Amino acid sequence: MDNLYDDLHSEGLISDESFEKIRQKPNLFSVHWEIKTLLYLGVLLLTTGLGILVYENIDTIGHQAILAFIALICTGCFAYCFKTCLPFSTGKVKSPNTAFDYVLLLGCISFLTFVGYLQFEYKVFGTNYGLATLIPMLVLFFVAYYFDHLGILNMAIANLAIWMGVSVTPKQLLLNSDFNSETIISTYLVLGVMLLAGAYATQYFNFKKHFKFSYQHYGVHVTFIALLAGYFHYYDSPLCALWMLVLFATAFFIYRDAVKSNSFYFLLLVILYSYVAVSSLAVRLSLLAGDGVLTLAPIYFMGSAIGLIILLIRLNKKLKAS
Amino acid sequence: MIAYDKVWLANLRLQAELKKDKLKGFINDAEFKAIAEKYPVGFYTPGLFARIGLFILTCVVISFGDGLLTLFFAASDLSFTFGWMFFMGLLTYIALEFMVKTKHHYRSGIDDALLFISGLLFAVGFTMLFSHYNNVYYLPVAGAIFIFNLYFSVRFADMFMTAMCCFAFLAFVFFGWTKNISFGMATIPFAMMLVSGVLYSLSYVYNKQKKFADYQNCFIITQVIFLLVLYLAGNYYVVQTLSDEISSRPGGAIPFGAFFWIWTMVLPFVYVGFGIRQKDVILLRTGLLLIVAAVITFRTYYHVLPLDTALTIGGALILGIAYAIMKYLKTPKHGFTYAEPDDTNFMDHLKVESLIVAETFAKAPAAPANDHIRFGGGDSGGGGSSGDF
Repeated sequence: MDNLYDDLHSEGLISDESFEKIRQKPNLFSVHWEIKTLLYLGVLLLTTGLGILVYENIDTIGHQAILAFIALICTGCFAYCFKTCLPFSTGKVKSPNTAFDYVLLLGCISFLTFVGYLQFEYKVFGTNYGLATLIPMLVLFFVAYYFDHLGILNMAIANLAIWMGVSVTPKQLLLNSDFNSETIISTYLVLGVMLLAGAYATQYFNFKKHFKFSYQHYGVHVTFIALLAGYFHYYDSPLCALWMLVLFATAFFIYRDAVKSNSFYFLLLVILYSYVAVSSLAVRLSLLAGDGVLTLAPIYFMGSAIGLIILLIRLNKKLKAS
Repeated sequence: MIAYDKVWLANLRLQAELKKDKLKGFINDAEFKAIAEKYPVGFYTPGLFARIGLFILTCVVISFGDGLLTLFFAASDLSFTFGWMFFMGLLTYIALEFMVKTKHHYRSGIDDALLFISGLLFAVGFTMLFSHYNNVYYLPVAGAIFIFNLYFSVRFADMFMTAMCCFAFLAFVFFGWTKNISFGMATIPFAMMLVSGVLYSLSYVYNKQKKFADYQNCFIITQVIFLLVLYLAGNYYVVQTLSDEISSRPGGAIPFGAFFWIWTMVLPFVYVGFGIRQKDVILLRTGLLLIVAAVITFRTYYHVLPLDTALTIGGALILGIAYAIMKYLKTPKHGFTYAEPDDTNFMDHLKVESLIVAETFAKAPAAPANDHIRFGGGDSGGGGSSGDF
């Protein structure tokens, strides 16, 4: 490798000053990701273990000791975080050290376990299940904003969905959801629109702007899935046209924002979801052709996909240039 | 040999190296620009998300194209034979060569998809060729797929093809050994250990050689695969399962049991130890992963602690170890640091870490699920997939 810099230096492409800097470059082996994975695994195992432990021993005297232990972990973690965290700001705040994020995570999850236990054993919130999920959610949002923690923000968003009676994490969304009921579809739609509004609010008010990605990520997926589900739910009634219209309007809106904020990820999502919508319309049309659908549909898919490939390449160039 | 322009590949490596220096502030923007102009890269390589999008869309185009083509010939006996699969695979391969040679696509998603589909079609073709009334002859299938994927790997230096090539070769050795050698089934763990050990050392050596610089990513994947297989070949659970297949009394103790137990429990730590000594990321990470495998294997046979206690103690232990390492490396020691590496990877773009946290912890408190599922708007919440109380 030194050869490379010698060559570049003698060709005059690297100045003497930079060359000297490179020669003194420390050659360190970073175990950053290994440590982070260990911390994550540790928190995951510990909280899962404690969670099961409490409920397994619920009839014995020992469970109060376990509960006290969880409360101790929780207060300890939060005390540490309040002590070491950097002052709050509306911009991005760096965490003071690598362990900080995981201590906070441990604190939050043990808090959730604690609240869950209180409700299970003492019915603190009575039968008011809304309240039992609302309070942890509010706490999570507060912690996410106060300590600037993206992971906890995502947990808070997931809890917001749980509070509304649905779920946003990909596994749950794909496996457990059943989109056959009007209430579920509309709940998802409301949630999606709320999240998208949240995304634009963070940017508009310039308040924790780097949180926009998380809101928008869940918002885009949930909104589009709800709209598509709505379309198929009302497939046989004229109402389905309305769902399609709203979908394309949303797509246009997100497309413009993605181009403006130079985000190819959201651009790709909009294009793929819209493609699914357009294709379902095209298949519906070609079904009118009777047996002709067998040749019409493949030709449509080939042509449209080639068109989209060209579009993607062009858009990619456009975003790169700007 | 390799289909991509070799000079551009070399320039790409050089630019990647210097980009890191630019980020760290060792060289300034003007210098980097001058170097990039002197050593240009003419490939078409879009970003990660464009690559994913193009991959999906190319798969759509090819599958519907192939479907349409098959439909035209559906009446004849031609389609659904191995020859037809080879024909379509060949068409895809020609398209791939065209995209790479004249359009200069390099890891653009389009060439990835064409390579993937072409390899898949040939693999299906070979499986159809070497099977007779639902009876697949694994040995020739594995051999043919190995040779084909070896060609693809050498020509396109693709990690996925290389992985498939390794698996096909290992399958070839496995079936060749067990079917043709007496006592083959009893000695197969040792044969696999030998083969994967030798191949790992070869990839380790070749990875460091300059003349194979174009194939670095291939050698990374071969190292990972052969390290894993080297371990799994001697893993107690795997050996036991295999011996049950041939044994007349399943579940019995296996010969050399002590040897396999030592192999299962000690080898991961050997990997980690060498990884630290050689500063080799592959050895280190594979070793850490296999420690998990060792623990799970152990727990399958010996239930020392109930699961909840084991999880709690394990979690606390891991946190303690991580804390100790961080304390120890507060100032970099022996060339190790726990500071963030400077090269940004794709994980940062997607904020993968935060998504994983939400996926695993969203319903953290493991409480008995409540049985009255209630859906609906904001006021009645709860129920559903939560399990919070």
